[in-house]
Amino acid sequence: MSAVMEAAPAVVRTDTRGSVRAVLALARFEARRLLLNVPVVVAFVAYTGWIVWRTQQSWDGYPALQDADRATQGGPLLVGTAVMLCADFAVLRSRRHGTEGHFAVLVVAPWRRTVAHVLSVVPAAALTAVCVAGQFTWEALKPGAIGHGSPAELAVGPLTVLLLGAAGVLLARLAPSPVAAPLLAVCFLFTFVLGAFPAGGEGTAWLAPVVTEAGTDTLPSDLLGRPAAWHALYLAGLALCAAFLAVLAAGGRNVAVKAGVAVTLVLALVGAVGQAGEVSPEVTAARERFSVSPEKEQTCVERGRSTYCAFPEWTARTGTWAGVVDRVQSLAGGSARTQPLVVRQRIDARHGLDGDAALPPSAAAHQVTVGTSWGGNRVPEFSTAVAAVLVAGDEKASGAICDGRMVTLMWLSLSWQDDPLDALRRVRLDDSLSGSAVVLSPTDPLTMTEGQTDVVRRLLERADDDTAGKVKAHWAELTSPDVTTARAAQLLGVAGPRGADSCGE
Amino acid sequence: MTGEHGKGTAGRGVVWALVRPVWRTLPWRALGAAGTVGLLLAGTSRLVSGGPTPWLTLVLLRAAALVGALGLAFLLDDPARHLTAPVPTRRPLRQALRAVLVAPPVALWWAAVLLLAPAKVRPPVAGVTVEAAATCALAFAGAAAAVRLTREQRPGQAVAAALLTSAVLAPLLLPDGWELFVPAENPAWDAAHDRWALVSVAAVVAWGLCGPEPSARWARVRGPGGRRAGSSA
Repeated sequence: MSAVMEAAPAVVRTDTRGSVRAVLALARFEARRLLLNVPVVVAFVAYTGWIVWRTQQSWDGYPALQDADRATQGGPLLVGTAVMLCADFAVLRSRRHGTEGHFAVLVVAPWRRTVAHVLSVVPAAALTAVCVAGQFTWEALKPGAIGHGSPAELAVGPLTVLLLGAAGVLLARLAPSPVAAPLLAVCFLFTFVLGAFPAGGEGTAWLAPVVTEAGTDTLPSDLLGRPAAWHALYLAGLALCAAFLAVLAAGGRNVAVKAGVAVTLVLALVGAVGQAGEVSPEVTAARERFSVSPEKEQTCVERGRSTYCAFPEWTARTGTWAGVVDRVQSLAGGSARTQPLVVRQRIDARHGLDGDAALPPSAAAHQVTVGTSWGGNRVPEFSTAVAAVLVAGDEKASGAICDGRMVTLMWLSLSWQDDPLDALRRVRLDDSLSGSAVVLSPTDPLTMTEGQTDVVRRLLERADDDTAGKVKAHWAELTSPDVTTARAAQLLGVAGPRGADSCGE
Repeated sequence: MTGEHGKGTAGRGVVWALVRPVWRTLPWRALGAAGTVGLLLAGTSRLVSGGPTPWLTLVLLRAAALVGALGLAFLLDDPARHLTAPVPTRRPLRQALRAVLVAPPVALWWAAVLLLAPAKVRPPVAGVTVEAAATCALAFAGAAAAVRLTREQRPGQAVAAALLTSAVLAPLLLPDGWELFVPAENPAWDAAHDRWALVSVAAVVAWGLCGPEPSARWARVRGPGGRRAGSSA
């Protein structure tokens, strides 16, 4: 009897520490099971496959890191859905196998088991963080990468997985039915992944876990105006709140749990209110400044004859632009060959990330506009803009070109490229090699008639290098506004146009 | 009990006698929850301001069909399956009875889902119904396969997870020329629905193959110690 009396207090003293160890052991076990669950394994395999497939060709090898951080957010939604499903099933496992009654005799109370289930989600979130870090590092290590990533944007992916996992545990506690999680997963997938429901207003749109805002143009980091930190706080608060609510629903009615629910709810609300605000006046003012008077925000560097003015994050790219300008200029004749140019980066950031405003052509003489993206089609587009300024003098005048000068212009723009005919196809809006078409450039597009297309194609198909000499020899006539397409073809020694000679016809 | 002549006794009378108990054991809560969520999903297309696009309507109908199939994945859950293994009425018949009993409410529910989609933007009804039927047949086939290949009493949860996983992966992984998820205005719509019909036929065949109890068990049921089969199953 006395032995029993002596043994009893010892058990009471080690109770807390022992149950913490039990919870951690259970959490480790559940985490391992969760990560080895078929849907989670499939989701992680699909996610890593998506990362590898996407990052190989993203942004044509010239990523802006302020866009690349946001691009890590979509994939974790899939992982999070699988984690939600499997966390829910893990909580329901004892009920399904009829072992709930056996667990009632153990010292680990149901709410402590729920704590273990919530903790078991953390390794899945950590693994997602590793994948996100890998994806972003890959982008950052590309030679063409510029700009700055935001830690708050990068945190969204892992936090989404944490939130969905905690939501799965909470769901199992609130609706202990095996059909609940799959139904919620379908609604979630169709709402947030497929985007079946259009987002609401400015404030409510940010209540979704992931808000990508995929615009066409890259903006400098300072102009993004995304409440990324508030959103990360909102997600973290929501995830922790779901976790504490699950523990509360499982019968953990102690002060720490109740305080946890209250504090995390406040965190989530603060985040939700913070992210719902309009874009700050400073950002709006900065967008206006960058759009209207870019020269005040830029640093200019001299490379060769020309000057290159770029926003601070893009100065590393001026060398690449200079390579294109030098190649185009080396093909030109007359004074254009030595003409100093000003290459100025311009954006229209006034409508934010969703804006799709076209840039007006610059009226300043010998000034070429370059955008914020590079690689792929942006190269022949910029090359065309350089050639247009060399031929016509300025961008505004080049928009009106629709005579024989178009032949010279397109030949200057394309002939130095690796695959001129492919570049011709890509720079034309309809990806064609015959007929009339719109030719893209960083500002207003140009127009090619059917006849001009034929002549340019014949020039680019011709193997000999004699064209460069002919262009230099007849430069004055080839760049005169009076030259017809037929005359240009004759000067350059190819068959003349059969279709329309100029846009007036 | 006339276990040795099981097939002979499974006449019309037995089927009628089975209707009530099978009706009672159907997973009505799972089916009800899935049906409600499906109707809500289809109904949201009416809430979109400015009217839904045809694409959105099609996506919502597909979501509703998937939700319905997830509910039907629980149809073959039977906590008493090991007890009923040696009864004279064969498993295919009992499973078919479950499907027949659940068919009229499901058909009514699908009609309601279709009617909830605004008529102006509703995709071709026949095509979407083929898709829904194929998805439900896949759920049946999955559940029957789980019953046939495992000793699990309630395989519904695993079947629902598998169905959901394949529903997410299929649009991503299907090779060119095998697309199933095409928009209604796409010229490939008809060809895609031939493939959907193939899928449903294959699923029904798989269900039929998975229906019977394993033959080893049958041998034991037929043998002189037939009563023991129930305890060893």
